Amino acid sequence: MIPSLIYPLALFGLASLPALAAIYIFRNRYRRRQVSSLVLWRFAAQSKSGGARIHKLQLPLLFFIELVALLLLVTAATGPRWKLPQSGRPLIIVLNDSFSMRAISAGVSARDRAGDFLEQLFRRQTPPSTRLILAGVEPRVTGSTARNWRELEQGLSQWKCREPAAAIDPAITLAVELGRQQANILVLTDHKPADEKISSRRLEWHAFGKPLDNDAIVNASRTAFGTEDRCLLEIANFSPRAHTVRLLTQTGSNAPQITLLAIDARASQRVVFNVPSSAPSLHATLEPDALADDNSVELLPPIRKRVRVQVALTNESLAELVNRTLDATGLRATLAANPDIVVQEADTPAAAGENAWVLHLTTRAATNACTGPFILDTSHPLANGLALDGAVWAAAAATNAPGDVPVILAGNTPLLSVRQDPTGRHHVTLNLDPALSTVQNTPDWPVLFWNLLSWRISEMPGLKQSNARLGTEVVVKTTGVPLTVIQPDGAKKLFPKPGAELALETPMKGVYTLVTERSTNQFSVNALAADESDLSACASGQWGKWSEDTEWRLEETPAIWIFGLLSLGVLTAHLCLASGAKGGG
Amino acid sequence: MGLRYALQIPQVAASVWTGSRSGRRAGSSIDFQDYREYQPGDDLRFIDWGIYARTDRLTVKLFREEVTPHLDLILDGSRSMNLENTAKSRALAQLAALLATAAANAQCTRAVWLSGEGFQRLANDTLPPSAWDNLELDSRRTPEQSFQILPPQLRRLGIRVFISDLLWPGEPLRILRPLRAGAATLFVVQLLARDDAAPPEHGNIRLIDSETGEETEVYVDSGLARQYQDNLNNLKQSWADASRLSSARMTTVMAENLSNSIASLEAEQLLVPA
Repeated sequence: MIPSLIYPLALFGLASLPALAAIYIFRNRYRRRQVSSLVLWRFAAQSKSGGARIHKLQLPLLFFIELVALLLLVTAATGPRWKLPQSGRPLIIVLNDSFSMRAISAGVSARDRAGDFLEQLFRRQTPPSTRLILAGVEPRVTGSTARNWRELEQGLSQWKCREPAAAIDPAITLAVELGRQQANILVLTDHKPADEKISSRRLEWHAFGKPLDNDAIVNASRTAFGTEDRCLLEIANFSPRAHTVRLLTQTGSNAPQITLLAIDARASQRVVFNVPSSAPSLHATLEPDALADDNSVELLPPIRKRVRVQVALTNESLAELVNRTLDATGLRATLAANPDIVVQEADTPAAAGENAWVLHLTTRAATNACTGPFILDTSHPLANGLALDGAVWAAAAATNAPGDVPVILAGNTPLLSVRQDPTGRHHVTLNLDPALSTVQNTPDWPVLFWNLLSWRISEMPGLKQSNARLGTEVVVKTTGVPLTVIQPDGAKKLFPKPGAELALETPMKGVYTLVTERSTNQFSVNALAADESDLSACASGQWGKWSEDTEWRLEETPAIWIFGLLSLGVLTAHLCLASGAKGGG
Repeated sequence: MGLRYALQIPQVAASVWTGSRSGRRAGSSIDFQDYREYQPGDDLRFIDWGIYARTDRLTVKLFREEVTPHLDLILDGSRSMNLENTAKSRALAQLAALLATAAANAQCTRAVWLSGEGFQRLANDTLPPSAWDNLELDSRRTPEQSFQILPPQLRRLGIRVFISDLLWPGEPLRILRPLRAGAATLFVVQLLARDDAAPPEHGNIRLIDSETGEETEVYVDSGLARQYQDNLNNLKQSWADASRLSSARMTTVMAENLSNSIASLEAEQLLVPA
């Protein structure tokens, strides 16, 4: 019976054994000395502190005890596991954690039916150990091993069925790894397996779903559209029959609007409409059906961020060109005080303001004029959507300044480069002579400025989006101040020292609130998952069956506690012996 | 150094002069000493028949016993006298030579006895010490054991000097009594090395008995050092008590400090300036 070691590196602790031996060797090394007679060295009463004739039996005994204790401790540190014969098999349960499990049929959801089945299974025969794996977007193991139904119920309390997808196959793979081919695997879901012939003798697939008709909102968005917000709703009919769906929309306290949509069987229909940008959150609701999660969405107004730009160019014609372009982007704020971006000539000193980015325009006369296309760093935000084919770009001969990263190059001449200073501000240098160029007359010119302002907006603190799908991450730019996230169920998460960027999980639908000292922001999460809303493929039944072999099998059992107890006993014996030897002189 | 000293002849041995010196007891020398009444067992040859004729009493003539002053030097030949890394063996040889020379200065005859498998007389011991054979100090037996195997043939009324470190277990009187029997005087000279007088430095030490080869391991600390000194003092005291009981005189000399220890021999009236 060879034990397997969890931490074999702990075997390096065996180096302490020769060290202990060396200590004893050096401690017991005696200077040799010849004396006339030992008659003077025989004492009636031996000294307590010294002079005691050293009994060789005691020292080696202590040494061997210490040796054994070290061996036991090192062995315990390696985490040994022995294979011991077991009669029962552990159970690993894969639970479908998607919201389709909440579909109700005859007043009972698939999740409830699966729970009842599990309880009955445990009443018949409780496995020696049970582990739960929640199959959501990603498989997740819950808590520790349960030994009885009460412990399992605690684990089942985390089975909320709110995920927008169920990764059953990855969860089974994880279960196989955890079970080391020895555990029985039980899958509780609401649909049948992709391959109904289950070859594994350790896998049982139980489905508790019912094929139900369901109408669902499968897509919803609200985006800025000029002075208004454009809303898009996509409603799907997952039933085999065409019917009319009643959609109710309401913004704020306004009167709800009812829209009747005639949707074909297993088809969807989009509804696009505008609402004023000043309108608060938009609620869209369908009539109640088997699955409630996908019947309603809440869309918050999109985040409209504007960039304060100060144009400090001395060249009036160039300033007029830049101002006109900036205004055309629609991303420029009306105010220019405390600017976010300053546009100035390259030779002038950097503008004040701790947050202001600077766009430097070169004033030197062009020495070369090149025709596009140019070399573009397409991964850079400034180059997004730029083509520059056929555009004439006249620029002064220049080389990269230290720290400048070129975004657009003509040969080895940087046309557009970017640098970040130690305070985090970005400096964009545009090497362009408008008098000899045609770039400013091409569509790429406003695109370039739109990219610049959009890039600046993306670096501003706050949310990037106000509406998200369930299960996705919502990114928040922070300034390092403490941040509190209030989830839809009222639970609070405090981030005392967030980094520059925070990615928030969205485990449930509803409105999330972000609270800092200075501001409060919100974003809405909606359950938009067409695959989960489609209940037509749900089924009930059992696929696969555990083999009923009763042969004894070897299961790895941790043996750390054995070595820990043994070492404790040995050390106690050592303590008794050592203190006894000391007291006896 | 021995030329500067002479052996002090005790009064017992110097009371009668015959030859160089003569003894007190009546003997068979030609010097008439006295008359006394005949006692059974007296040699008939010494009856003064003239007095018998005149007085009808048996009277014997007494003559002075002829005694030559003699030194018996009894040396401990055990291995402990040749302790390694000490001046013990050299000091023993020097001390024996000193006493032999001092005896010659006092016109004493001498015999040098060395313990071993019994006591053996040292070859050429009547010659000057420079002619002596080397002292072989390699015996595993204590002087007491050697005495039981073969005692030395000691001259009656001689001066006896026993030189040893006295470091063996046992009753001192068991060797002092036979050594003292028939002697004019007995001197016990304890010759110790500095290592005998003081225990080693602190620490773990494996002690090896120079005579038996027995080994023991001890940890020496101040407590043990005190006990060692107590043991040494007790041993010396037991030998001193036994010497006093047997009318012997005892002194201790240090091997490494032999020249300064001569004073103690003078104090014990073993040596006098020549």
